[in-house]
Amino acid sequence: MRLVASVLLALTASFPLFAQDANDLERRLRELEQKISQMQAAQPSNDLTEIRRQIEILGQEIESLKTRQTEKPAAADEVQFGLGAAASKVYRSAPGVSFGGYGEFLYQNLEERTDNADALRAILYTGYKFSDRVILNSEIEYEHANTERNGEVEVEFAYLDYLIDPKVNVRTGLMLMPLGITNEQHEPTAFLAARRTQVESRIIPTTWSELGAGVFGDIGRVSYRAYVTTGLSSAGFSATGVRNGRQMGSQAKADDLAFVGRLDWQPIEGTILGGSAYSGNSGQDAAFGGRVTIAEIHADAKYRAFSLRALASRGTIDDAAAVNDANHLTGSGSVGESFGGWYLEGGYDVASMFPRGELSVTPFVRYEDYDTQRKVPTGFLRNPANDQNILTIGVAVKPIPQTVIKVDWQDVDNAAGTGLNQWNIGVGYIF
Amino acid sequence: MTQPQALAAAFPPGAKVTRQTVFLTPEQLSAARQESGLEFDDRMIVRYSAGTAAGVIGYAYFDTHRVRTLPETVMVVVTAEGKIVKIDILSFDEPPDYFPKPRWIDQFRGRKLDDDLSLKRAIRPISGASLSGRAILNASRKVLAIHKVIGAR
Repeated sequence: MRLVASVLLALTASFPLFAQDANDLERRLRELEQKISQMQAAQPSNDLTEIRRQIEILGQEIESLKTRQTEKPAAADEVQFGLGAAASKVYRSAPGVSFGGYGEFLYQNLEERTDNADALRAILYTGYKFSDRVILNSEIEYEHANTERNGEVEVEFAYLDYLIDPKVNVRTGLMLMPLGITNEQHEPTAFLAARRTQVESRIIPTTWSELGAGVFGDIGRVSYRAYVTTGLSSAGFSATGVRNGRQMGSQAKADDLAFVGRLDWQPIEGTILGGSAYSGNSGQDAAFGGRVTIAEIHADAKYRAFSLRALASRGTIDDAAAVNDANHLTGSGSVGESFGGWYLEGGYDVASMFPRGELSVTPFVRYEDYDTQRKVPTGFLRNPANDQNILTIGVAVKPIPQTVIKVDWQDVDNAAGTGLNQWNIGVGYIF
Repeated sequence: MTQPQALAAAFPPGAKVTRQTVFLTPEQLSAARQESGLEFDDRMIVRYSAGTAAGVIGYAYFDTHRVRTLPETVMVVVTAEGKIVKIDILSFDEPPDYFPKPRWIDQFRGRKLDDDLSLKRAIRPISGASLSGRAILNASRKVLAIHKVIGAR
């Protein structure tokens, strides 16, 4: 009896440590329960009944701590974003910081060129919940490991979300442009190949963020985003596309703004069909408008072990001749008056034969075709080297869902016949 | 949502809800790990059985686990025979973009513990929030395995 009482006293005295050592307390409660059962069987006693009641109370306290019921719940009549009727009263913790991140390493074995290995990117995500309705999301990106050796540090995005209703909410700040698939889902575990598609890098051009404001929400199975942002700057355009015209929130010129909108339809879980469009002048106080319009349609589907992804995009640059003149571009160095591309990718997770466990092994094939100079202004020339198609064959292995190792081979062809093949090894992580 | 609110929503009005505490033996814990395919150390299991005059109509389990870097708490309601009736999320600390939509969670309704209860099989993943989906899947497999091991009482 004294032994039992002293154990109970020890448990009660260690209450502040519950959060740190719940497993140990559970073990001790279990042992105590067993001893009491033995003693009760040997010699029934009111004291043992009382001790059993106290054990039950301690068990309730442990359960409350484990399931975080000791924290303040949300107001009972508060409807939460994205929840159904039964779950509309969501229990929230106090406002606070959330961390996450991802990173990629890439080795490229290049035909007729110097092979290279790169700490491609390391991203730190930081979020802060001011309240259940006001949330900050931000990512800082470190590229190529060292700013003294061609590396860069940038704010990839940083925006505030004001949650009003599942159907309409407000977003403002430095936002990822809602174009394509990879621009908003670019973690290394979200795509199969070691390198992102050139279609999304050159035509979209991902990863792309601009300062602005807009609305977003879900209406049934359709989600949407619509923003007004700073436009591209034509000063960065070239024969290889509009990629260097991205302003990325860095002392961005804002004479010309742009509109971007996106619709996604999820007919069944795991499948998304959608499209997006961007349009805005790019002259940024130049004598010409230089309107850039980019549109795309996409499909992304996962069913059991199968994954399928497809995208087609087309873009135009108005006043392309004026852009060439302003950028001192001549001959085949012209910007593309019209540019575009498409890709198709399919994969099958062979580890699905073993449904338990987290291992994923996905062989895949991807074919992409793009041309940054589908059409050039009169008096200029197309460079056939910019008319490329790439076949990528490889495998993506995820030992756990948060890490991936990719090995693939790329057959690179272009209309000039100067394409050079390569094989790649990529390693990625997300947390 | 608090636990009492979740339990009230889980079972029909008039059902008598009884709290049960079960301490797993090492053999039961090992069996539950084997059945679920997961590693966990929960040895004190608290569940809530709901009964009517006709008998036990279901059991509710609560599980707290990490999603990406932050925790969520879910309630998994199962039948005596071990089929999922519903899953509710009581708390979720990750950004709202990662919150699983109710229609995605509906995929678990009626599921039992078998190889099809997997993101590689019958459960379609969440686009852009794969870790959120895996967290719910693992919680459901863990609860069903524990329920199978300790049985209906």
